Amino acid sequence: MNSGMSKGINSAWKLGNHAFESRLLIGTGKFSSVEIMVAAVRASGAQLVTVALRRFNRERPSDDLYGPLSGLPGVTIVPNTSGARNAEEAVRAALLGRELSGSPFVKLEIHPNPHHLMPDPIETFEAARELVKEGFLVLPYMPADPVLAKRLEEIGCAAVMPLGSAIGSGHGLRTREMLEIIIRDSNVPVIVDAGLRSPSEASLAMEMGCEAVLVNSAIAAADNPPAMAAAFAMAVRAGYAAREAGLMSKSDNAVPTSPLTAFLKEETP
Amino acid sequence: MSAAHSAWLDPGPWLEVSAASDANKVNAAILCERPGVAELAVLLSPAAGKYLDLMAHRAQLITRRHFGKTISLYAPLYVSNHCASGCLYCGFASDRDVPRRRLQKDELLAEILALKQKGLEEVLLLTGERSDKADFGYLLDCVSAASAHFSSVTVESFSMTEGEYAQLGQAGCTGITLYQETYDPAVYRKMHRWGFKRDYAWRLDAPARALSAGLRTAGVGVLLGLADPVADLLCLFRHIQYLRKTFWQAGILVSFPRICPQNGGYPPSQPVQDDLLAQIIFAFRICLPDVPLVLSTREKPHFRDGIAGIGISRMSVASKTTVGGYSRAGDGAAQDGQGQFDVMDPRSVEEFCEALRKKGLCPVLKNWDAAFQPPRFS
Repeated sequence: MNSGMSKGINSAWKLGNHAFESRLLIGTGKFSSVEIMVAAVRASGAQLVTVALRRFNRERPSDDLYGPLSGLPGVTIVPNTSGARNAEEAVRAALLGRELSGSPFVKLEIHPNPHHLMPDPIETFEAARELVKEGFLVLPYMPADPVLAKRLEEIGCAAVMPLGSAIGSGHGLRTREMLEIIIRDSNVPVIVDAGLRSPSEASLAMEMGCEAVLVNSAIAAADNPPAMAAAFAMAVRAGYAAREAGLMSKSDNAVPTSPLTAFLKEETP
Repeated sequence: MSAAHSAWLDPGPWLEVSAASDANKVNAAILCERPGVAELAVLLSPAAGKYLDLMAHRAQLITRRHFGKTISLYAPLYVSNHCASGCLYCGFASDRDVPRRRLQKDELLAEILALKQKGLEEVLLLTGERSDKADFGYLLDCVSAASAHFSSVTVESFSMTEGEYAQLGQAGCTGITLYQETYDPAVYRKMHRWGFKRDYAWRLDAPARALSAGLRTAGVGVLLGLADPVADLLCLFRHIQYLRKTFWQAGILVSFPRICPQNGGYPPSQPVQDDLLAQIIFAFRICLPDVPLVLSTREKPHFRDGIAGIGISRMSVASKTTVGGYSRAGDGAAQDGQGQFDVMDPRSVEEFCEALRKKGLCPVLKNWDAAFQPPRFS
């Protein structure tokens, strides 16, 4: 059973000792303006918002993503290490992110190939181990690998963040089979990150048992990002509520109204 | 394996594919999920030129998916125009009668501060071909100085050894830009009359040496107008494929510099007009969905504004192509025509950012952080 799981549509979930009601996390890159990004964050009701360290710009407030978010009530910033290509770089970026933001969280992203942005499992594991020792609540973006998920849980990560499909691809839950295993076996929250295109996919991830989902591209690329953010928020709530309400089991066959075994109850002539 | 003299650089087979293109093949290439060199050949063909708008829509969708509604910005910083090579098309060629200078330490700092004042965080340092007056040691000092101020420093300069590229990296350089100019060996020889740059193979292997030395990015391109653009671009694509397969951690960027016939200076033998340049950019976006495509201020404002976000994801801004051009504003007029090329988009950072915002695009001045670089010890 996943930790932090409790019944009820508004029930909180936990990362470490921090409780959250919203199960939608938002990424902040790719928006057409900072104002629209902030409006989308507000519309989503997200309490956890990730910001790439490389988009922190203290010298130029108009170019800075961190500043406008840091004052939003109810929002916790999660600096991410996007851009790091190995554990050493990620650890340096995480330490600087904590210094700048004061956040106890770090979204650990290590993708050595800047084109497909697939996470490096080896470097992610190494960096996670180091960052846990440094006292971070580590949220590692990772391939949808059930073994790696358990390894990251064992070394103390606060959650695991397997990808649904490639970042920005909009291919949805291509890794569903692996995600189901990760969810079934995990003792820490599972947050599906990357690849979601539509609210229905976010809803499905929640129905499957994810504790939360993280969305960026699908909201930023929408014609109306705040409206799409609100749609994702509703879908996440609906998916979670449906799971808690108890989804009926699936069957390939229709349930016959005239049971074939009725004869067993008939009296012998 | 060396890229030089490799059979895969022969564009012949792909030129045949391009020549045999028709409407059906163009439509299939536009919608292809895993496009490769064959699709690029089709999309660069005259047949595809009739489907520019369709290509533009596809290119915009792909650009949004991978880069969002953002354009990252950088500025060139010319640190020296001393040059020992004789490139026919270049304003810095050693036989050109232009005042030569290199920035002294205090002048470089003034340039750096002038760019920082504009809010720029990513800078590309440029020089002419290696010379006694501006050698590797000089460039290395410039990189060290710039790295102390900018979050990202890259270099567009002469071809170097792997060891030299490694030293640049240690000094804070994250990548290089280095165009082959043309992949046609005969045209290359004609254009590069003397100097180190005359060595086609040494230049061709330079991006590989840089990436092998650990630099993160290599920007590549051809100078459109020198030779058959389709042949050159097909070779460029094959070169990119080679680099991506060989250096799996490398970031590749592609630029599309062209010699504009209206600019004066060297007359291009095969001019590339606006329509074809747009087609080239759309074709590369469709075939290289996740590669940053770069456009400089060689292009006019209406073209830059139009194509931003429709393929192009990274642009230079407020560029000066003269040495000391940013801080010596009063001398700007005196230096007109003495840059490496004429800047066709003279807008300021703020003016250009505003134009991007009007298009629904977010200008990004800082998209990197020095924290990713190893600590430097001086």
